[in-house]
Amino acid sequence: MTGLAGTNPFMGRPLRRREDPRLLRGEGRYLSDIALPDMLDLAIIRSPHAHARLIRVETAAARAAPGVATVVSGMDLAVGSIEPVFSGDGYHGAAQPPLARDRVRFVGEPVAVVAAGNRYLAEDAADLVEVAYEPLPAVISAEAARKPDAPLIHDSVPSNCFFRYDHAYGDVASAFAAAPVVVRGTFRHQRLAGAPMEGRGIVAAWDHDRLTVWASTQTPHMLRTGLARSLGIPEDAIRVVVPDVGGGFGPKMHLYPEDLVACALARTIGRPVRWIEDRRENLLAMTQAREQVVNAALAADRDGRILALQADVTCDSGAYSVYPITAALEPMGSAQILPGPYRVPAYAYTTQAIATNKCPVGAYRGVGMTVGVFVMERLMDRLAAAVGSDPAEIRRRNLIPDDAFPYTAPTGLVYDSGRYGDTLEAALAAFGYAEARREQARAREQGRLVGVGVAAFVEYTGMGPATFARRGMRDVPGSDSAYITVDEAGRARVLLSCPSQGQGHETVFAQLAAGELGLEFEAVTVSAVDTDTVGAGSGTFGSRAVVSGGGAVVRAARAVRAKAIDVAAHLLEAPRDDVVIADGWFHVRGSLGRGLSWPEVARAAHTPGLLPHDMEPGLQAAFTYNPPPAAFGSGVHVSLVEVDRETGLIKVLRYAIAEDCGPMINPLLVEGQTHGGLAQGLGEAFLEEVCYDESGQVLTQTLMDYLIPTAVDMPPVTLAHLETPSPTTVHGVKGVGESATIGAPACLANAVSDALGQDADTLPVTPQRILAWSRQRAFREAGV
Amino acid sequence: MKPAPFLYVAPRTVEEAVALLQEHGTDAKLLAGGQSLMPLINMRLARPEVLVDLNEVRTLDYITEVDGEVRIGAMTRQRAVERSPFVATHVPLLSEALRWVGHPQIRNRGTIGGSLAHADPSAELPAVAAALDAVFVARGPDGVRLLAPGEFFVSFLTTALEPAEMLVEVRFAVPSAPAGCAFLELSRRHGDFALVGAAAVVRLDSGRCRDVRLALTGVGPTPVRVREVEEALLDQPPTEARLADLSRGIGPRLDPVSDIHASAEYRRHVAGVLARRALAAAAARAQAVGGGEDSPS
Repeated sequence: MTGLAGTNPFMGRPLRRREDPRLLRGEGRYLSDIALPDMLDLAIIRSPHAHARLIRVETAAARAAPGVATVVSGMDLAVGSIEPVFSGDGYHGAAQPPLARDRVRFVGEPVAVVAAGNRYLAEDAADLVEVAYEPLPAVISAEAARKPDAPLIHDSVPSNCFFRYDHAYGDVASAFAAAPVVVRGTFRHQRLAGAPMEGRGIVAAWDHDRLTVWASTQTPHMLRTGLARSLGIPEDAIRVVVPDVGGGFGPKMHLYPEDLVACALARTIGRPVRWIEDRRENLLAMTQAREQVVNAALAADRDGRILALQADVTCDSGAYSVYPITAALEPMGSAQILPGPYRVPAYAYTTQAIATNKCPVGAYRGVGMTVGVFVMERLMDRLAAAVGSDPAEIRRRNLIPDDAFPYTAPTGLVYDSGRYGDTLEAALAAFGYAEARREQARAREQGRLVGVGVAAFVEYTGMGPATFARRGMRDVPGSDSAYITVDEAGRARVLLSCPSQGQGHETVFAQLAAGELGLEFEAVTVSAVDTDTVGAGSGTFGSRAVVSGGGAVVRAARAVRAKAIDVAAHLLEAPRDDVVIADGWFHVRGSLGRGLSWPEVARAAHTPGLLPHDMEPGLQAAFTYNPPPAAFGSGVHVSLVEVDRETGLIKVLRYAIAEDCGPMINPLLVEGQTHGGLAQGLGEAFLEEVCYDESGQVLTQTLMDYLIPTAVDMPPVTLAHLETPSPTTVHGVKGVGESATIGAPACLANAVSDALGQDADTLPVTPQRILAWSRQRAFREAGV
Repeated sequence: MKPAPFLYVAPRTVEEAVALLQEHGTDAKLLAGGQSLMPLINMRLARPEVLVDLNEVRTLDYITEVDGEVRIGAMTRQRAVERSPFVATHVPLLSEALRWVGHPQIRNRGTIGGSLAHADPSAELPAVAAALDAVFVARGPDGVRLLAPGEFFVSFLTTALEPAEMLVEVRFAVPSAPAGCAFLELSRRHGDFALVGAAAVVRLDSGRCRDVRLALTGVGPTPVRVREVEEALLDQPPTEARLADLSRGIGPRLDPVSDIHASAEYRRHVAGVLARRALAAAAARAQAVGGGEDSPS
């Protein structure tokens, strides 16, 4: 564990985000702000059919349109398909061509592309491209796709099943047979869109055989790998630069057809090209998320102590298995997180990723986990009702105790640390649980429908190489890198492999580096990510940046600090072990008055004449860090909601979250992540749903129809923080980016269920669904 | 999402605008605040050949009172009307309804005339106009014509305006006696077009309804006046039981659409609920302004 501990004076400091003045003044530089001389803009022609044979693409009229450089369809584009590598059984992938060649498999799939002088001209010409299709029967649900006579979406995917995995731990069947209490349910979670404020985009420019790509991406290094593979060039021929990014949330970690189209066209035409995703394209063809049906059951003793868990998870994965994480990620994540923070002696699951004629499903904040937590927490409420217990008490009774860590769950996941009982109590206290129950009782006497919801969860964060290897996701390295230089003026520059998506990397990594180096915060700058300056890494996803990128930054900073101390020891003529750094000064321990400032040491470090003759000049270090398999964060959400009995409208009266992401580097950023995550979780619970009609047409192509929450939809929130360190990460930190999105839908569904006295097992919970459920309850109570 | 090519013209007077409409007919589209038209154009759902921008026509931005009527120029921004103390005093239903229109950013650009002429039956202003029997002033090559809401709103996004006509003003009668009003709507997310909305005005005399107006949004191709309920309440005290009874009958008479946000059945049900609540709120306010039990005056 050497090097994991250590104090950092910038840990826990609520410094304001230094990127905000730039971003809030509109001075950010995003992908669409990039303009290169001679650049062409692309417009993509997309399939209007969910499933069809592609007969002919007629491009002559479009080629003749004003300002058009070229029009290309799938047959004319010399570039390989997208196909992630998965190692393991039960997986059948399918190659995704950048432009459809003989078949289209979802509405919005790219078919042809126009390159023109600007996007207006490109869209005008795109209108002139005529595509002949022969429609095929479309498969629009996992249920339909699993029928024996269902049309096959890919010849390479038998039974339309991308992935299936069966797992059993303990004697589940016997436990269920003998258990005095069994609760079960069918849980449906809708399909979501990531809907970042900034859509996707790419600029590609070739200089002879070298390609430079500017991309709005979470994962520049994996993008580089994917591009190299499909373009058939070495990775070192590609440089990926990430400008300011307006939100990623998961979908920006994939390699997309448009990325390959842009790079290939730029090579063919010999001019830079730019493709900017518009909102319609974003809601049609950026990877979507979740869409699962889960049948699950819980067996327990008479006191509500869990004896066994069983789950059957089916994910509607859409038309392709996405690079780099494959279609396995979402259904596997749900199945693996289901036991959550509870002791579950036996667990069996089957999990499947099913191909359908819809947009591919990929990563999205909370991937897999949100659905798993929704299912488990609905079951826990049923269990509480079945044994006549309070929902908080049933959880208290089943939580993994503090002395059980490291704890190996029945999934094989190893939870590194946590104080689940304290987290629950902190949430209940922050919420005022007992008072809320009294408030609820009073409201019910007045005939109001008021409910309290509780949800507890764990989440895997900062996953390392071992986890991706175990999951079979061979294209995800799992490590991250940092490179730190200190110049002659004593100013440090931090370069790393995790690009900010807007969550404050310029601040948090400067804090980490400044603290390790003993520099002032203002003397440290964090650069935009560029694969030419930091050559390897995984990127920003799965709540990993502070764990993985942070680990790399700390290790690199410590190496630079060690060199600086060597230089200072030489100048101070003192043994290096006696030199300390405090407040930006190098001192000899115990010797007052003798000291050197950081700039003095830095200048000396770059001046060969001032150094010992066997010491190389310079102050820099690079480090590639392998994070542990995972650091498990945890949290408990509690909410109070009121439902309008006549209209089904829901109002969240108040909300409390206790979260434990280990020691906080910057509490302001943790709270920002928690508030934002709750907003997205609230959208997931009540508002957001990608809708398809029975022919596979997307009915949610604008933000008037795909409803993301706004500030006014947010309830008042109280936060409580626990800081249980991980024994396996640098400074004990854990990720927190996804936390609140994982807990909120379960918590809110439980609160609505409590208010109605009727299970809310289908998301999103809409006013119309509430009235339907209430009617069912009324019928039931009337004995109809 | 870039518009198809169009010719852009920005007349400075109503006369010039009308002349341009006369010249280009249905190929032309008027641009007011742009809050509905611009997205339609950007998505190429609307492809006008000529865009006539009214934002340089300065004479259509006003709120005045003439002959017992509040007259509002078509290019008056919604936010200006919402904030007008004059409108709040004389046409309080309009002030109240405007707060439900989108968000402040939208109301800063959106105009009174633009929203009415767009004729979205889910929008707030058409229902207000219907409830208050507003007068629509249309200007064409042959001069001015006045239309009632029942004439002006023809169908979904369709008005009685001729291709060479434009809406220049809307007029609201100043009520002769104090009344209570209420505007309620239900949307899944604040600021969205409502699934259903209800605008109600009640004038009481000695505790009995003397004038009742009820209009609904989102339940048909145009705003819907519910005259059966208005008439049934005349000369009656607006008791809870009576309002509940009458409101229950509203839904079955409506023919709303189903979409991804709500079924027709849900909209019918909620229309009745909101109608009852809006009428009750309007009646309570009428009571408060002095239309309650026999007053000394």
